[in-house]
Amino acid sequence: MRRHARRRRAAEHRFRLLGRAAVAVSIGCLLFLLGSMLVAGIGGIDGHFLRGTDATEATRAGIGAALRGSLMVLGLTLALALPVGVLAALYLEELAPRSAWATLIEGSINNLAAVPSIIFGLLGLLLFLGTMGLPRSAPLVGGLTLALMTMPVIVIAGRSAIRAVPGSIREAALAVGASRVQVTFHHVLPRAWPGILTGAIIGGSRALGETAPLLLIGMRAFIPAAPTGMTEPATVLPVQIFLWSDQIDRGFAEKTSAAIVVLLVLLFAMNGVAAWLRHRGEVRR
Amino acid sequence: MTALLLAVFGLALIGWLAGHARALAFTASRGVLPRQQGWYVAVWTGLPALALLLCWAMMRPADEITLPAMLALLLALVGGGLAFARLRPGFAAGKRVERIVVAALFAASMVAIVTTAGILLSLLWEGGRFFAIVPAGEFLFGTHWSPQTIEGGDPTAGMGALPLFWGSFFIGAVIAMGVAVPLGLLSAIYLSHYAAPRTRRWAKPALEVLAGIPTVVYGYLAAVTVAPAIRDLGVALGIGAASSESALAAGLVMGVMIIPFVSSTADDALSAVPRTLAEASLALGATPSETVRHVLLPTALPGIAGGVLLAVSRAVGETMIVVMAASSVATISANPFAPATTVTRQIVDLLTGEATFDSAKTLAAFALGLVLFLLTLFLNFVALAAMRRRGAARA
Repeated sequence: MRRHARRRRAAEHRFRLLGRAAVAVSIGCLLFLLGSMLVAGIGGIDGHFLRGTDATEATRAGIGAALRGSLMVLGLTLALALPVGVLAALYLEELAPRSAWATLIEGSINNLAAVPSIIFGLLGLLLFLGTMGLPRSAPLVGGLTLALMTMPVIVIAGRSAIRAVPGSIREAALAVGASRVQVTFHHVLPRAWPGILTGAIIGGSRALGETAPLLLIGMRAFIPAAPTGMTEPATVLPVQIFLWSDQIDRGFAEKTSAAIVVLLVLLFAMNGVAAWLRHRGEVRR
Repeated sequence: MTALLLAVFGLALIGWLAGHARALAFTASRGVLPRQQGWYVAVWTGLPALALLLCWAMMRPADEITLPAMLALLLALVGGGLAFARLRPGFAAGKRVERIVVAALFAASMVAIVTTAGILLSLLWEGGRFFAIVPAGEFLFGTHWSPQTIEGGDPTAGMGALPLFWGSFFIGAVIAMGVAVPLGLLSAIYLSHYAAPRTRRWAKPALEVLAGIPTVVYGYLAAVTVAPAIRDLGVALGIGAASSESALAAGLVMGVMIIPFVSSTADDALSAVPRTLAEASLALGATPSETVRHVLLPTALPGIAGGVLLAVSRAVGETMIVVMAASSVATISANPFAPATTVTRQIVDLLTGEATFDSAKTLAAFALGLVLFLLTLFLNFVALAAMRRRGAARA
């Protein structure tokens, strides 16, 4: 009987160790990834690297043009996806009649959020380049494509933020004679705004790190100048990393890691802002 | 164009001010806000003109500007003028404006349906054109894939995509899940049932960071660090087929990327199990690990399985890791050290060459996209159904 108990205690101990090992391995992978990129890339970051454009020689290459392209694409993505996403979320949560139609909209949003990003690249290639004849590799096309991809993320985050607004606020406003639209825009939207913004930042950070759909719409050429307009050929930071990773010249290895460090710093900053907003929202509520 | 847009918005602003001023003049207007009258005029000034400009831009992009500009400005003036003329004391402008607002919200939510339909229709259309050239049976079950060499000869030769499906399955569903399921599930169990709250508070967000790292970074890590190490390991083990584009390198790194998806869905499923079940098991003398293995896991199984299916769908659709670390040559092999290719990798390879837009090669990419889309749709559907079953069992 005592042996049995000892065996059970040993099994318990093993299980706990196994769980601790799993967490340690997972976080170890993260630390290894961050550490190796930092070690390999931190030396390559200087003023020239941050401001320069792509070049055939590794020593002269910089990410200024790619950063600019990324900002243009991200700006257009959010400018399109945020209003449409917020309005769609408001409609679904506040105004839509419970009908088969609303269920269909909901289903297609949830489905779009799970569609592989490369499929959006195929759609962008066919719709924006093939049918509408927009220029290849332009920030305009990149922003449109990524906006389609980001919109469902914002809708889903927005809906949960809207759902978290207490019903008593709606009832109080309705009771003093506000219409449903007034309730939505004057009371629900301001309360839900921090949550919506958090979702938008998270969607934006996903768009900022996205590569595959942009390759399909032609962003993989050597572009030695920063884009000056929405229809000029441009490149973005993740695509620049991909292009440099293919270079045989050893000098580009450091540049690639350095660009990765810059991209990760941008993403962590965005996620930090999102976490801060969410925290502030929770404290106030 | 910018000046034109500014002009339309300027007119709308004037409309708002005019409507507002006019409404202020009606002293006896009860239940109607002057603001709403202003919006009514502004909307009727701006919207028709903007709609006209949008249609024009879609039909013929920017080759002529004077005619649409004149038309738009005229429309703005007429719309605004008519709306202004309708203002009376007690005119329910608010209700009419709200109707337009609701229509705009509805239109925004329609974007999702239009996008879904657009994806499905475009893939079906291009895929249909592909299957008119290459028989579907040949494509789905053929084992020889070399689309880069079809110029001139028989277009159906080298269009058998079975090696790609195998590669996607092997990398995404076997190797990646072999990493992600044990690590993710055990992490979720440890963090939710064993770890001190302090550990949990930093370890959970740290795991989530893995999901936020761009895939191109994982791809670089796989290609530069992991793949050579795997090749050396394979050579040291005496495996002849050991390659620096092995399925194992891509799959391992993809598995690490997927860990947080598995752990967060497993965490949700485990915490949805009623507390009373775990407490009953503990009260009967079971140890915590026995409770987890015999009570919590079986009860949470549908939810966990659903989460794993979602993770598989994500792994199969993942592109950059396999573009950077997997092979472009299609072979069927269950040897993890041998090179392997995937559906997503081939889509990128087919569409980034210098091919004409209508060749069998580019159409094949859309056919592969169709298969991928339907597959992920199916996986998501089954996953959500499994996760919903858990909810039903609980109730």
